[in-house]
Amino acid sequence: MNFMKLTNDIYLIDGLPIAYIKSISAIAISDLHLGYEGIAAKAGVYAPKSNLKKIKEMVGDALGKTGASTIIVTGDIKNEFSSVDIDEYSEMLEFVKFAKRKNTRLILIKGNHDNFVDRYKTLFDIEIFAQEMQKGKYLFFHGEEMPKSISKRVKGNNISEKVEMLIMGHEHPAISLISRIRRKEKLKCFLFGEYRGKQLLVLPAINYLMQGTDINLEPKSRLLSPILKKADINRFRAIAVGYGETLDFGRILDLR
Amino acid sequence: MFEYTDKPFSDAESLAPLNKYVRQWFNENFSELTLPQKFAFKFIANGKNLLVTAPTGSGKTLSSFLSIINALFNYSLEGSLENKIYCIYVSPLRALNNDIYRNLKLPLDKIYDIIVKEKGIDIIKDNIQKVTIGIRTGDTEQSERAKQLKNPPNILVTTPESLAIMLSSEKFSENFRSVQYIIIDEVHELANNKRGMHLALSVERLARIAEHRLVRIGMSATLYPLEEAAKFLVGYEKGKPRDCIIVDASWSKKFDLKLMAPVQDLIYSNDALIENETYKILDSVIKHNKTTLIFTNTRSNTERVIFNLKKRFNYDLDIAAHHGSLSRESRLSVEEMLKKGDLKCVVSSTSLELGVDIGTINNVVQLGSPKSVTRLIQRIGRSGHSFKDTARGEIIVLDRDDLVECAIMIDSLKSKSLDAFRVPQNPLDVLAQHILGMSLTSQWSIDDAYNLVVQAYPFHALPRADFDSVLDYLAGNYVELESRKVYSKIWLDKSGGTFSRRGNAKLIFMLNQGTIPDEASINVIAGRKHIGSIQEEFFEKLKPNDIFALGGHLYRFESSNGMNCYVSLADAAAPTIPPWFSEQLPLSYELAMNINKFRRQMLDAIIKDRESIGANIKKLKKGEKIDAVLKSMGVDQASSNVIFSYFMEQFLFAGTIPNDKILLIEQTYDATQEVNLIIFHSLYGRRINDALSRLFAIELSNRFDTDVGIMINDNGFILKPDQKIDFTLKTNYNIVDALHSKDIEEMMKENLKRTELLKNRFRHVAVRSFMILKRYKSFKMTVNKQQMSSRMLLKVVEEMDQNFPVLKETYREIFNEVMDLTNAREIISKIKNKEIECKFISTPVPSPFAHTIVSFGYEDILVMKHKRDYLRHLHQLVIEKINENNDHA
Repeated sequence: MNFMKLTNDIYLIDGLPIAYIKSISAIAISDLHLGYEGIAAKAGVYAPKSNLKKIKEMVGDALGKTGASTIIVTGDIKNEFSSVDIDEYSEMLEFVKFAKRKNTRLILIKGNHDNFVDRYKTLFDIEIFAQEMQKGKYLFFHGEEMPKSISKRVKGNNISEKVEMLIMGHEHPAISLISRIRRKEKLKCFLFGEYRGKQLLVLPAINYLMQGTDINLEPKSRLLSPILKKADINRFRAIAVGYGETLDFGRILDLR
Repeated sequence: MFEYTDKPFSDAESLAPLNKYVRQWFNENFSELTLPQKFAFKFIANGKNLLVTAPTGSGKTLSSFLSIINALFNYSLEGSLENKIYCIYVSPLRALNNDIYRNLKLPLDKIYDIIVKEKGIDIIKDNIQKVTIGIRTGDTEQSERAKQLKNPPNILVTTPESLAIMLSSEKFSENFRSVQYIIIDEVHELANNKRGMHLALSVERLARIAEHRLVRIGMSATLYPLEEAAKFLVGYEKGKPRDCIIVDASWSKKFDLKLMAPVQDLIYSNDALIENETYKILDSVIKHNKTTLIFTNTRSNTERVIFNLKKRFNYDLDIAAHHGSLSRESRLSVEEMLKKGDLKCVVSSTSLELGVDIGTINNVVQLGSPKSVTRLIQRIGRSGHSFKDTARGEIIVLDRDDLVECAIMIDSLKSKSLDAFRVPQNPLDVLAQHILGMSLTSQWSIDDAYNLVVQAYPFHALPRADFDSVLDYLAGNYVELESRKVYSKIWLDKSGGTFSRRGNAKLIFMLNQGTIPDEASINVIAGRKHIGSIQEEFFEKLKPNDIFALGGHLYRFESSNGMNCYVSLADAAAPTIPPWFSEQLPLSYELAMNINKFRRQMLDAIIKDRESIGANIKKLKKGEKIDAVLKSMGVDQASSNVIFSYFMEQFLFAGTIPNDKILLIEQTYDATQEVNLIIFHSLYGRRINDALSRLFAIELSNRFDTDVGIMINDNGFILKPDQKIDFTLKTNYNIVDALHSKDIEEMMKENLKRTELLKNRFRHVAVRSFMILKRYKSFKMTVNKQQMSSRMLLKVVEEMDQNFPVLKETYREIFNEVMDLTNAREIISKIKNKEIECKFISTPVPSPFAHTIVSFGYEDILVMKHKRDYLRHLHQLVIEKINENNDHA
């Protein structure tokens, strides 16, 4: 098995936008945006379906390699804000069944695209968290807003002493590099840095069709997540995923 | 079978088939027939398919229509004329349609008046109806359309797009049962592009609906080869082209063309002088003529000429610009003023090439080379109103390459050696539109539909597998079963061998059909700053590291994302691509080859005359042979001297002159930029050079493990390796061997990945194929959104299947229309089997023939001055070198 060891407990599986957390026997993924092509097709863009298929391949691969018993989704399992589209529903159901077949537990922390998912909680038999979830030393959340346990606006809030690392999605991080033949090459990446004394890991979007935001090209003000706007993003490391490999490209600052 | 004829019928023979009323009208209005009319009246009266090429103003409209009008009045006189469409006229221009409508309405009314005068009240008893004409374009009001549906006109004037919509309307297409004639005007504007391919299929669908055999009439400005145009016009039946009579009356107009250089010395005269002299010529031409039309090669130049004429000579509202960037209203108003004779001069880039009625033009001036003989004829042919007038014009050349190119162009015109065009074959996006359109009106047997499609010339050799793949694509068979309801646009029953319409398809078709893509405007961003914008067609020509001018500065193209183009300031560098590059049409292959032939004749003559020429660069004497070659060109003494010294400089400096048998490869050093240049003197036109340069660059880059920059123009290409490499003749032949043995299409596909060119063209094809809808239900998708969506699609499709029709068509379009991969491959084989000999030289500074390409990027940016400085600098170095060699000798 080929992994990149991020910490003593967290492993990044080569070539996959998936983190394996050993102590809780879980893999963490983010931003699936299931139903994406179906929704695009209704708006006049007839993309062949490939997203769910690719996600199942990647997750299946990760589960096989790690033996994890839990899949944690840090938000945006589906794509539409305002409702649950039929394509989203059928793809979510398929993904839930897939997780069952793999004998894994599925935990969803809701993202900004996950409204109305609650109504399927019983039907799908999955755990759903509205904002954040603490598990072991980790605090999982989506990232479009500050989780309550971090937000300064909520009085007396402190990130629990026990939490050592924050794990989120939402940003769809990627980096762009100019290749030797001067072609722009865009790679999805993990971002790994610090926020208020805790480690912060940003997961890349596992959605196959979305390219992501060029963290090394966009100014900080254009980033989506409030927590990243506050953090010193230049000092984050970009760990890129692509062509079957996972490679540490060093600090964002050096990639600008 | 195609039958050529150059024997016109006599006036009496031509007029004999006409009934007395139509003949009376004709005789009252015209004293004689024009040349095209002497062919057309009789042949059309006999129901023949006919292609006529003739210059503008030679009575083409009446040529095609009079016999048809006559036939319709015959029905009328018999009392059998019904409210049915008998004739459809299609032209690519709405403006032209309006002209035609006006120009026919009058005769129709007049002829009817003549009949009424004679028959009096009997017209009611005998049911003698007026012959009606109607117009249908995108501008036609809804109420008018509804009227046409119930009460169709006898003659329907329309555009290719509107025809396709009518054909796909269940109700309207019923009106086409009665059609007997179709006239396609401006064939030369349609036969080489997707609009025309689209029309060719519409015509076959029309022929299928019509209960009579369709008489097909094509009118065109000159184009070559005529058989190709005829095939496009008449289509195929049972695997063979249908019969057609071909009349080439293009040469009925005489040409009086002058080649002019503003100054004797095109190199060392200063800019102010050249500019002054150029404008003096223009002013004098304008003053001496009632109306002058000036053609420039770019829109920005058009504006500049107008600005200067006004500033220098106090012209005001009596001169105007006419080009594609102007609003439709301002163009129309210029056309109106021209017709009324209110303008002394109009300056245009390409927009006035077409046959819109603009009244009488006395003289045409062409600034710089128009790059093709056919275009030259088309442009100069706009002067002289009547078919008997001589078309008068001047070509003003601005540098020595221009001079040679234009001299040969005029020579080619005289010998009627024209550029060849090709009708693109098997455009699958156009096919997809038609299959969807066909499904809307009835259920089709798949075999039957295929047999119909292959009757259109652009699809006559369409592989059945490609046809089936388009059906599969439209049926949504590229996604899983449960999604097809949304993805499919036709209902395909393979076991039953039929296809038919699906619910939402009509809306999709009506809102999205057509072949002209939305052009996007791309933001140029340096750092975080928005600098300005460039057109998408220019954007797709940019390669990373290209340097281009915008708003008075130079920028280096670095990367892009969707609608943004990221650049960095590069004022110290040399521009590699001029901003008009996408606007100017490439040099035609045939003209390029004629120039190459001339170069070879000159080389042979120089070698034979070597003794008598002398070695002193300042006192060269033409020998007999050289004199003969130059005389045969028909240029004046001054031009002849310029050409002679230009060729001698090249010969003395480089030891040879590149031509059709010799490909000169020159390794040199550009001191101003401190880079090594490998210059290929491949005068094959830009489309071939585009393909060749990419292929050579890929091989070179692999062999030496270095980045290779590329610059191309019509006369050659330059490879700029990032580091110094040891390029030799052997390297060159190794590359040629490698290219010869490889699948260059695969190499190009790999090379095109993630380029703007591929992305943009894929978007166009995806939109044409209805894979991305521009309009649907209540929304209109912005170009920006189209672009983002197409990028996502491309990523998925590329991994899916290389034969997916939308992707396959994208590559076909790039290989055959943007580039010319077929001829590039041909050149590679010719080098391989030594039909073309490569010669390699190493030079301290670029040789004279390389100067225009080396300084190419400078052209037309506002710093034209820099280009001349740079050219003079190069020229100086060359002359010094030649003198130095002589001193040693």
